[in-house]
Amino acid sequence: MRSETGFDPALYERFPTRDERPKEEEEELRRIWCKPKGWEYLFAVNNNYIGIYYLGTAFLFFLMAGVLALLMRAQLAAPMLEILPQGTYNQVFTMHGTVMMFLFAVPAVEAAGVLLLPQMLAARDLPFPRLSAYAFWAYAVGGLCFFASIFVGLAPDGGWFMYPPLTSKAYSPGINTDFWLLGIGFIEISAIAGAIEIIVGVLRTRAPGMRLDKMPIFAWAMLVFAVMIVIAFPSIILGTLLLEIERAFNWPFFDATRGGDPLLWQHLFWFFGHPEVYIIFLPAAGMMSMIVATVAGERLVGYRLIVLAMIATGFISFGVWAHHMFTTGMPPMTTGFFSAASMAVSVPAGIQVFSWIATLAIGKPKFNAPGLFVMGSIVIFVTGGLTGVMVAMVPFDWQAHDSYFIVAHLHYVLIGGMVFPLFAAFYYWIPMVSRRALSERLAKWVFGLMFTGMNVAFLPMHLAGLQGMPRRVYTYLPGQGLELPNLISTVGAFMLGLGVLLFLVDLARNFRLAPGEGNAGNVYGGGTLEWLPSELYSTRTIPVVTSREPLWDDPALADEVEKGRYFLPRSATGLRETIVTSPLLAEPQYLQIMPGPSPWPFAAAIFTAGFFLALTVQAYLFAWVSGVLAVISVLRWLWETDRPIEIEGVDIGADIRVPTYVTGPSSHGWWAMIILLVVMGMIFLMALFSLAFLSSNQPGFWRPPPPLGGAILMLMLYAAAIGFALAARSVLRRSPFWSVMALLFSAAASSAALGLDYASWSGTGLDPTASGQGAVAYALLALQACAAAIAMLMALYCAARGVRGLVAQPRNNSIDLTMLFLVYTAAQGATGALVSRLVGVGG
Amino acid sequence: MTEPALPSEGWPPAVLDPAGPYSEPVTLLAWVLLVGGTVILAIVLAALWVAMRGSPRLKTRLGGEKAIWILGFAFPSVVLTGLLVWGLLLTSSLSAARVPEGAMRVKIIGEMWWWRVHYQDGQGRETLRDANELHIPVGQPVLLELEAADVIHSFWVPRLGGKMDMIPGRTNRLLIEADAPGVYKGQCAEYCGGPHALMGFVVVAHSPADFARWQASRRPAGGAGDEGLALFLSSGCAACHTIRGTSARGLAGPDLTHVGSRKTLGAGILPNNPGTMAGWVADSQAIKPANRMPAYHQFSGEELQALTAYLVALK
Amino acid sequence: MKGGAAISVLMLLGACAPAPVETAPADTDAVARGRDAAARLGCGACHDMPGIAWPKGRVGPPLAGFGARPLIAGRLPNRAPQLAAFVTDAPAMVPGTAMPAIPMKRAEADDIAAWLLSLDD
Repeated sequence: MRSETGFDPALYERFPTRDERPKEEEEELRRIWCKPKGWEYLFAVNNNYIGIYYLGTAFLFFLMAGVLALLMRAQLAAPMLEILPQGTYNQVFTMHGTVMMFLFAVPAVEAAGVLLLPQMLAARDLPFPRLSAYAFWAYAVGGLCFFASIFVGLAPDGGWFMYPPLTSKAYSPGINTDFWLLGIGFIEISAIAGAIEIIVGVLRTRAPGMRLDKMPIFAWAMLVFAVMIVIAFPSIILGTLLLEIERAFNWPFFDATRGGDPLLWQHLFWFFGHPEVYIIFLPAAGMMSMIVATVAGERLVGYRLIVLAMIATGFISFGVWAHHMFTTGMPPMTTGFFSAASMAVSVPAGIQVFSWIATLAIGKPKFNAPGLFVMGSIVIFVTGGLTGVMVAMVPFDWQAHDSYFIVAHLHYVLIGGMVFPLFAAFYYWIPMVSRRALSERLAKWVFGLMFTGMNVAFLPMHLAGLQGMPRRVYTYLPGQGLELPNLISTVGAFMLGLGVLLFLVDLARNFRLAPGEGNAGNVYGGGTLEWLPSELYSTRTIPVVTSREPLWDDPALADEVEKGRYFLPRSATGLRETIVTSPLLAEPQYLQIMPGPSPWPFAAAIFTAGFFLALTVQAYLFAWVSGVLAVISVLRWLWETDRPIEIEGVDIGADIRVPTYVTGPSSHGWWAMIILLVVMGMIFLMALFSLAFLSSNQPGFWRPPPPLGGAILMLMLYAAAIGFALAARSVLRRSPFWSVMALLFSAAASSAALGLDYASWSGTGLDPTASGQGAVAYALLALQACAAAIAMLMALYCAARGVRGLVAQPRNNSIDLTMLFLVYTAAQGATGALVSRLVGVGG
Repeated sequence: MTEPALPSEGWPPAVLDPAGPYSEPVTLLAWVLLVGGTVILAIVLAALWVAMRGSPRLKTRLGGEKAIWILGFAFPSVVLTGLLVWGLLLTSSLSAARVPEGAMRVKIIGEMWWWRVHYQDGQGRETLRDANELHIPVGQPVLLELEAADVIHSFWVPRLGGKMDMIPGRTNRLLIEADAPGVYKGQCAEYCGGPHALMGFVVVAHSPADFARWQASRRPAGGAGDEGLALFLSSGCAACHTIRGTSARGLAGPDLTHVGSRKTLGAGILPNNPGTMAGWVADSQAIKPANRMPAYHQFSGEELQALTAYLVALK
Repeated sequence: MKGGAAISVLMLLGACAPAPVETAPADTDAVARGRDAAARLGCGACHDMPGIAWPKGRVGPPLAGFGARPLIAGRLPNRAPQLAAFVTDAPAMVPGTAMPAIPMKRAEADDIAAWLLSLDD
């Protein structure tokens, strides 16, 4: 067999080992991965805790947003009711959409990844546990504060899509809209953090031998999901930044009267917003594929097809965003392209659905709880998919767009494509984390109520839409035939709510959380690694994987793993650790020493939340204090994560020795940094797109940019910055001092170039408040200033480590990662300086 | 001149009850999609039933990659390609990229939460201003130039055509046409804050002869010396409203020159008669909460009578 | 104003006649038609009326329990003929009222009166 890293696959033959392992090894693992006590629960970073916290919080948001939905349905039960006054209703429907999409759906699937992936991949934890903890706490604290705004009447009321100019300062003067931007800010942070975690986790911490084509399909789904987040979220990050800047500083990005364009927001929002739907759907589809196989008791039919379908979905979904904009007056050629892409994206969905049906067909499917939800999901999702094809037809969409037909369509897609799979997943995986499984008997009632209620609630909405009922209306006039469909919908909504309530009863009766203390076990007979016996350190040893369903193929596996006969039978360093493997063939590369529990990620999250909240309520002093404390907390948590230790190479089982400290492109930190830079690059790219978009749509407002010649000096400085940064890495072998100095020089050169850039723009007399061009030009400078400031902070951080003697030679991860960031910063600055001087010159 | 009456609506659903050449083909498409979608859903349900309960022979047929390729890939690809071609042809034939000869032109501007209606002649010169109601002759295409004054709105009269957004800084174009005289209800379809739900509109289609009479009867108001007009001018109404032929030239609210002849009040939501006019003038906030017209508490009974009588007489 | 005068005469006649002890049993069809007519005419623009969800105007008095009230607008006896006349042409019946004359058919006025008199809760 071919090798990826030089690792000899024949070494796998040594497992399972035959020797008896001493009992103390297990005791030590328990000690190292010990359970938190009291306050320590806040500082836990282990995925077993963070995953549960995360999923629990996401589910809480589902319940709260669901209550909002019931309030809306009560208001719409009959025409012109006054249960919710107009203003309140507008806040409630905005919050329902926002909370369901941003605070429930994305975090819920991300949480499922955090909870399940390490178990499925047989890793001890995800590679950046503290990042997970930070992402969770920022999301939980920020999300709850955001939600609380509804109780004081300060919730946003511009719709979850927040179209300006309705959401601009002129038409939304209160701080309601700022709360939205704040709430979304948190989910942006936590989604990106989670995506980095998941990409690196899936590609680098799989059990040895788990080649990409042996990976559980859920891991594939999460990989595509995370990559899509990295590509899609930057667009909304930039959008929310620009909207907040427009509101706070009056920079007219979206103001048509001053050379901005409201459609710019729609492009930025939907370039994120439609992939978002698939971001939610793919992980849920991944869960479906896992559960279907177990329910059928057969291997998944069409594994490769499904993987291809998911990758295709990922690609195509970035070409469909403008189907939300068919009625904005785009030319027929353009709508034709997006119409074709929107139809094409249903093909991979069809492939997945028929793969599931095929799997059920070859097996002996059982009508157990996960089975019921799987089937319900298929029916509902297919219905939503079919109406999706309808609205992909441009002329039909001209009628259906923004009517209740769309409300029906999107709920069929999201409930069928995400909520029902999630409930199937609850039933299926709760035995993994709870001492008791949920009740099969109650499950039939839960399913019956939810399935019936869902259809009763949303089927009549298709009709209401065709009758002419627009979306986002707090009421409707009598005498238009809308009374009956709406009343039926309300009844259905409460049935659905009753089903969820019954599920809560089941949870209360049977859900007994017990991370690492025994669980209900493999109730449904799944074949993947998460059903190995596990404790807080995950499995006793990390098995060699040779098939997609190892537990079905090797009945002795669980026992051998438990007896310590595979990888990592003992802690090699006395610290938390996991095996980092190669991305394609999962060959062991090195032993990652993992950071343990720490109060700092928690503190960083609290201060991050404090910073944004204080900004929203305009308590600026408090905001800046919080911001500085947040940065300090982050640096403090990082301080101890880069620690080369004395032991150079360790035995990870059967005399296979790997290093404990690796630098450069094969280290997990390098991968994470590259992903982060892709995110930043996408944000910057979107900003450049904004500039080009405004220059072609508002040429009348365009003034000549500063001359291109003036950029030469800046380019030279940026080139020097790149040179210094690269030199820092090679010079480290000889002198940590000069290495750190090179980093500082690089950051200084980038800052100087930025200063020149700023001076030449302000020399043109263009004001950021004067026109869309000025606003975007200065926004590009502001983005560059952020990058330069972070670069400088990182260089200073390395300097501080140097002073404390923590910069190890000849290679050091902190220096490497700072180098990467500095090179990126200079490249971004140079690109911005050039492009901003070229856009709109001819016009 | 026969006056088309306000319809009582709901059945058949407006989208499936077309009344003109720009909605008719879409209704056919809608039926094909609805029926076709139902058939495909039935096929999937049947496949699911076979997978769960079918005979072993059928189950084996369904349980392989070949079935996935046929049902999940080949079948949808063929159907979707056909639909796509139809959709593209229909899109270009319905879109306002090509304007038919002799189309009537009207500019409609969305406001929070009502509509300005500016009739134009063939050269795009404004001929008449009105609000919240559009009169058209049957059998003649009407090119609407849609703009927005504040936030984004969307113009939608389902029985006459699809919807089109009204976006600040842009002029979007939409074609509509009615086959038969009648009143066709419309509604703002893009969320525009506050009482977006109560931002209605009506299109009144006349026979060509009636339309000519309607046009001829649009004259500036007189009424000098009328007690109602005096109240209108002295109470501040003229700060927001225009009545041509008088000194009332406010621009913030709807033009009232022909308000008495409108089918509805409050932007397509309330029947127009002296009673509703009085109620609207005195306290429109109770009818359409958060609209931009304040409640007027200063009128005596007689004054409200006089004002109402003057306004309903503005034909 | 001719109709108004005729109705005034009618009203005077009504005032002279002895009051019937038992009111005629409400014609439920008329009541239903009256409610629909009131909704169609938009009477809610000024009055908050039971059974009509919208509008719930505040210009005129709320009409819940109207059938149990002795007087119309504090001036007229609350009987069907007077009420039908009043809803059609209030200023003719009660000079100075803000309620305008509202064009409607005679049958509609009778139905609305029947409906209003049935509101006794």
